[in-house]
Amino acid sequence: MNLRARLTGEPLALAGLVLFLILLPSLATAFFVNFVMTQTLILGLAAATIVFLSRYGGMTSLAQLLMFGIAGFMFGNAALDGGARGLNLGWHPWAAVGFAIVVTTLAAVVLGAIASRTTGIYFLMLTLVYGVIGYFVFAQIVEISGPGGITSIQRPDLLGPPVRLYYAGLLLSVLAYVGFRALRRTAFGLALQGVRDDPVRMASLGFNVPLHRTLAFVLAGFVAGLAGLLNVWWNGQIDPASISIGPTLILLIIAVIGGISSLEGAWLGAFVYVLVFTYLRDLPLVDRIGITEARFNTVIGVIVLAIMVLSPEGLTGIARRLPVRTIRKELGGTRA
Amino acid sequence: MASVVEIREVTVAFGGLRALRGVDLDIAQGERLAVIGPNGAGKTTLFNVIAGDIAPTTGTVVIRGQDCTRRPSRHRPRLGLARTYQKARAFAGLTVRENIYLALAGHRGRHRALWRTPADRAMGDEAADVADRVWLSGQLDELAGELAHGQRRQLELAMAIATRPDVMLLDEPASGLSRGERERLVELLESFDDRLTLLLIEHDMDVAFRIAQRVVVMADGEQVMAGTPDEVRADPHVHRIYLGTEAA
Ligand SMILES: Nc1ncnc2c1ncn2[C@@H]1O[C@H](COP(=O)(O)OP(=O)(O)OP(=O)(O)O)[C@@H](O)[C@H]1O
Ligand SMILES: [Mg+2]
Repeated sequence: MNLRARLTGEPLALAGLVLFLILLPSLATAFFVNFVMTQTLILGLAAATIVFLSRYGGMTSLAQLLMFGIAGFMFGNAALDGGARGLNLGWHPWAAVGFAIVVTTLAAVVLGAIASRTTGIYFLMLTLVYGVIGYFVFAQIVEISGPGGITSIQRPDLLGPPVRLYYAGLLLSVLAYVGFRALRRTAFGLALQGVRDDPVRMASLGFNVPLHRTLAFVLAGFVAGLAGLLNVWWNGQIDPASISIGPTLILLIIAVIGGISSLEGAWLGAFVYVLVFTYLRDLPLVDRIGITEARFNTVIGVIVLAIMVLSPEGLTGIARRLPVRTIRKELGGTRA
Repeated sequence: MASVVEIREVTVAFGGLRALRGVDLDIAQGERLAVIGPNGAGKTTLFNVIAGDIAPTTGTVVIRGQDCTRRPSRHRPRLGLARTYQKARAFAGLTVRENIYLALAGHRGRHRALWRTPADRAMGDEAADVADRVWLSGQLDELAGELAHGQRRQLELAMAIATRPDVMLLDEPASGLSRGERERLVELLESFDDRLTLLLIEHDMDVAFRIAQRVVVMADGEQVMAGTPDEVRADPHVHRIYLGTEAA
C-alpha cells in the first residue's frame, strides 16, 4: 500500500480506460457504441450495486433489478401523457426523473429496513421474494404498468441523440465506481465492512447494525434506480416481464461472471454478457451445432459454469492471476 | 457506595442447558475482579449478559444505576463499557488501524458520513496511538485477518481500551500468549487508571492473581466462592474443582 503504487497503478489505468471510452464513439461503429456499450454501462451500473452490497456489506441482493424496474416504471408513468399506457401524469421529464428517484429510494428504505435483520441465505431469499412480489405487483396492477408494458417513452431532450445516452451511462458508471471505491475508506464504508465481518462485534462497539444495512441498501437502490432510468430511455419502453425472475437472475449472473467481489467486475461481466447475447447468435454455423434461440440460455449457463470453475472470483479473478499480478505485487499489491 | 455493575439472580438457559443458575454479583467502581473456573463454568456467558450480547432468561442487570437487562449491546459503549472476546474477533478484512478506528467511531456515534472528515483523520491518528500502547504500531496497516495469534489478542485489547471505558471486560486476554507477551500484558493491565473497573476472565492463575483484588470462582453456572487472591489460593475446595480440573 505505498503511495507510489496508488499514484501510478490503478488510477492511471482507470483514467486511460475512461479516456478510451470517451473517444470510443469516434473509433467504433454507432451500433457498437449505442447498442453494445450503452447496454454494457447500464447493466454494469446495476450489477455494481449487487457487488457493492455483497463486497462491502456481505449482502447478496436479488432485489436490485426490482429497483431498476421501479425507477423505469415510475418515469414512464410520470412523463407520458394522454393516450399512452400507465398513469399518464404528463409531467416535465426532469420532474418525472425526480419522482422516479424518490419513489425508488423510498421503496429501498422500506424493503431495506425489513431485510436489515437478516443475513446470508435469508437475506438472499428475502430479496428474491421482493423481486417476485415486485414483478407480480407490476404485472397485475396494469394501471401502473400498462397492459403489456409502457411504451413510447421519450428521453429528456438533453439526452436526445443516442450517443449522449452513452455518455450519460459512462458518466454515471464512472461516478458510481469512483464513489463506491472512495466509500471504502469513509466512516460509513468502514462501518459497513465491519458489519459484513462481524455484526455482533459491531453492535457491541455501539453501532446500529440494521440501520447500517438499511442505509447501504438505500444507496444501492438509488444507484440501481439511476441505471433503471438509463435503461428505460435506452429501451423506450418497459414491461413487467423485464423485471421477472429470469432477468433478476441474469443481473446476478453478470455480477458473478465479472467477480462478485470486485466492482470493476460488474462492468466486465456486463460487457461479456452483452457481447455473447449480441454476437453469439450471429456467428456462422452456431445453429448447426444446435445453439438455437431457445437454447441460448443454456449457452450462457455453460459460459457461467466455465468461468466459475476456472475462477470462483469471476473474470477479474482470472485477470488477477495473469502474469501481470507479480508486477502489481512488486508495486505494493492491490486490494481492490 | 453504589455498584457500577449489579447482577441479580441471573439465569441463562440454552435450551435445556443452564449456563448460569442464579448468579448475584456486585462490582464496585475501580474494582479489579477476576472470574475463574473450569471450562463450561459459564464465565463467558456471564460476560455476554453484562455486555448485552445475550439477554438473561431471568434476573436483572443494572449498569451505573440503569436497568440494562433487555437493552441490546449497542447501548453499552455509551455507558462506558467495553469488552473483548475470548476468541479474538477483529474485523478480518480491515486493517489494524481501521479496526481501532471503528471502536472509536462506534463509541462516539459518528459513523454515517459518506466522506472522510477531519474528525475521521483525528480518530485515525488516535488509533495509531492506541496501537502503540499494545505494541502494534508496526502492524497498523496490516489486515487483522493476517495477524499472528498473539497480535490478534493485542488488537482485541486495543479495541477495548481505545475508548477509555470506565468498565472493561476482558475474556482470557492472556490465552495463547507467550511468556514475554503475558508479562507485557500484566504490565499494561497494571498501568490502568485506578478508577477503571476491570473484570477479567483468566485461566492463567498467575496473571489473574496478580491483577485481581477479588476473585470469583464459578463452576456449573454458579458462584462457588469469592475472596481475595490469597483466600482463593488457599481454599481446598477451589483446588478440587478448578485447579484439579486444570491438571486433569
Ligand atoms: N450460544 C450458546 N448456545 C448454546 N450453548 C452455549 C452457548 N454459549 C455457551 N453455551 C454453553 O454454556 C456453557 C457455559 O459456556 P461458557 O462459554 O460461558 O463457559 P466458560 O466458563 O466461558 O468456559 P471456557 O473456559 O471454556 O471459556 C457451556 O456448556 C457452553 O457449551
Ligand atoms: Mg469462556
